[in-house]
Amino acid sequence: MAKVVVLGAGVSGHTAALTLKRKLEAKHEIIVVSPNSKYQWIPSNIWVGIGRMKSKEVTFELAPVYKKKHIQFHQAKAVSIHPEGDTSSDESFISIEYTSKEQSGQTEKISYDYLINATGPKLNFSATEGLSPEEGHCNSVCTFGHAEKTWENLQQVFKKMESGEKQTIVIGTGHAMATCQGAAFEYVLNIAFEIRKRKLESFCDLIWLTNEYEVGDFGMGGAFVKRNGYITSTTVFAESILAEYGIRWIKRAGVSKLDGKKIYFDNLEGESHEIAYDFSMLIPSFSGVGLKTYDKSGEDITNTVFAPNGFMKVDADYTAKPYEEWDAEDWPSIYQNPTYNNMYAAGIAFAPPHAISKPMKSKTGKMISPTPPRTGMPSGVIGKVVALNIADRITNQSKEHKHRASMAKMGAACVVSAGFGMGKGMAATMTVFPIVQNWKKYPRWGRDLGYTVGEAGLAGHWIKLLLHYLFLYKAKAKPFWWLIPE
Amino acid sequence: MKAEKFVPYSEVSFATVPDKSTKFWRRFWLWQLYRFVVLNLKMMRIVVGGHS
Repeated sequence: MAKVVVLGAGVSGHTAALTLKRKLEAKHEIIVVSPNSKYQWIPSNIWVGIGRMKSKEVTFELAPVYKKKHIQFHQAKAVSIHPEGDTSSDESFISIEYTSKEQSGQTEKISYDYLINATGPKLNFSATEGLSPEEGHCNSVCTFGHAEKTWENLQQVFKKMESGEKQTIVIGTGHAMATCQGAAFEYVLNIAFEIRKRKLESFCDLIWLTNEYEVGDFGMGGAFVKRNGYITSTTVFAESILAEYGIRWIKRAGVSKLDGKKIYFDNLEGESHEIAYDFSMLIPSFSGVGLKTYDKSGEDITNTVFAPNGFMKVDADYTAKPYEEWDAEDWPSIYQNPTYNNMYAAGIAFAPPHAISKPMKSKTGKMISPTPPRTGMPSGVIGKVVALNIADRITNQSKEHKHRASMAKMGAACVVSAGFGMGKGMAATMTVFPIVQNWKKYPRWGRDLGYTVGEAGLAGHWIKLLLHYLFLYKAKAKPFWWLIPE
Repeated sequence: MKAEKFVPYSEVSFATVPDKSTKFWRRFWLWQLYRFVVLNLKMMRIVVGGHS
């Protein structure tokens, strides 16, 4: 009998746990450890933040699903990994601390044969002074709880505009090296849509503030798409949408501080600027969740297992090299830790070998450029591939990893909602294939133009709605859930 | 964010903006239904074909 422990129950961890359960015989044990009692479909948090959905529509309780599938669930956070055991036992184990009301603060050791680290990112608000929503100077849509509070605050801004008070709204990235521009872009378009619907355009200055070198970079070095007889950059696509929605943009900006009245940022020219604002939603930088790792003697080996940013090292090529020498083959495909071969990192928890966008340094030496995004689609695929390989190792004693999924060989879709309604909604649908440019395979444009698409329309909104219901159905492990592809 | 008059050399003046025809096709449900099918097929292809 084998025991597989999955840390995290987000898109990647949850997919991995369900896939393992489906592929392995009942005698094998699957254990999920997550500090949250609920699963959240993060892409729809935007709709919570704009008041189009309630939290309960984007979340569900994990415990009943795991009970139904005979998966053990611990509502707890992982504190440390002990891949060699300790002085009293050779068995690998993790230490956890419960977060549920009933067991809050209690600790436990859980042994494992295989470990999947799918803890996702730590929302590193503390890297930017005044960015945390708890301080009240900025809002967030990164969790459903944040998004709910953000919608409450945004309604106050709408009320002020309705009473004739001009408001400045700033949406974008809250750190020089933040990623996930797509989510913030989606939010700014939704706010513009709602303002226009309320006929309040005259009372609002809406600003897109971003660390991208050019708008439309989205942390993936931008992309080229075929549109109306031309091959154009996503910069043209993104600027066009911003201009159409009446949104100003400020690019190449590394936000360093917010104080409730002004946002302070530096740009690539090395200049310092500030903007007065009334409402903001800025995406924080991400880091690993801070898991510690110890060897058998109790010595801290965190730096061996994890990269400096706190994400777990896997089968990537981490050799430092200039942008011009980056290669598609640098990216991992099986997500196995090189030091301990029974440990894997899935979804956002794995350490990327480098960025996708070209790193940019300001004249004062500050890095201002996006880190690589890892959206739901690749996270789900990676979770599945890791689970399939582990199932294979357990069932067939296979040493070879048959299943592979490199971000330089898989595609992703980003559906950026830009308004709500079956007849009036709109979304910008962007697909890229592959996610990481492969200049050897596609020497001209870096990607396959047949599958790299950028277009706006009602169809995008329908797709976004379809994905919402489809993936929540799948995550609830309802009949034939596994037929829905990642 | 009210649509102001065109200001030459402003950043926004260099952006392409959709005309009436483009806006029509973005909302015309029959065309959008076709695009819905096409985009879903493309997405399916890049998901399924992206891993082994």
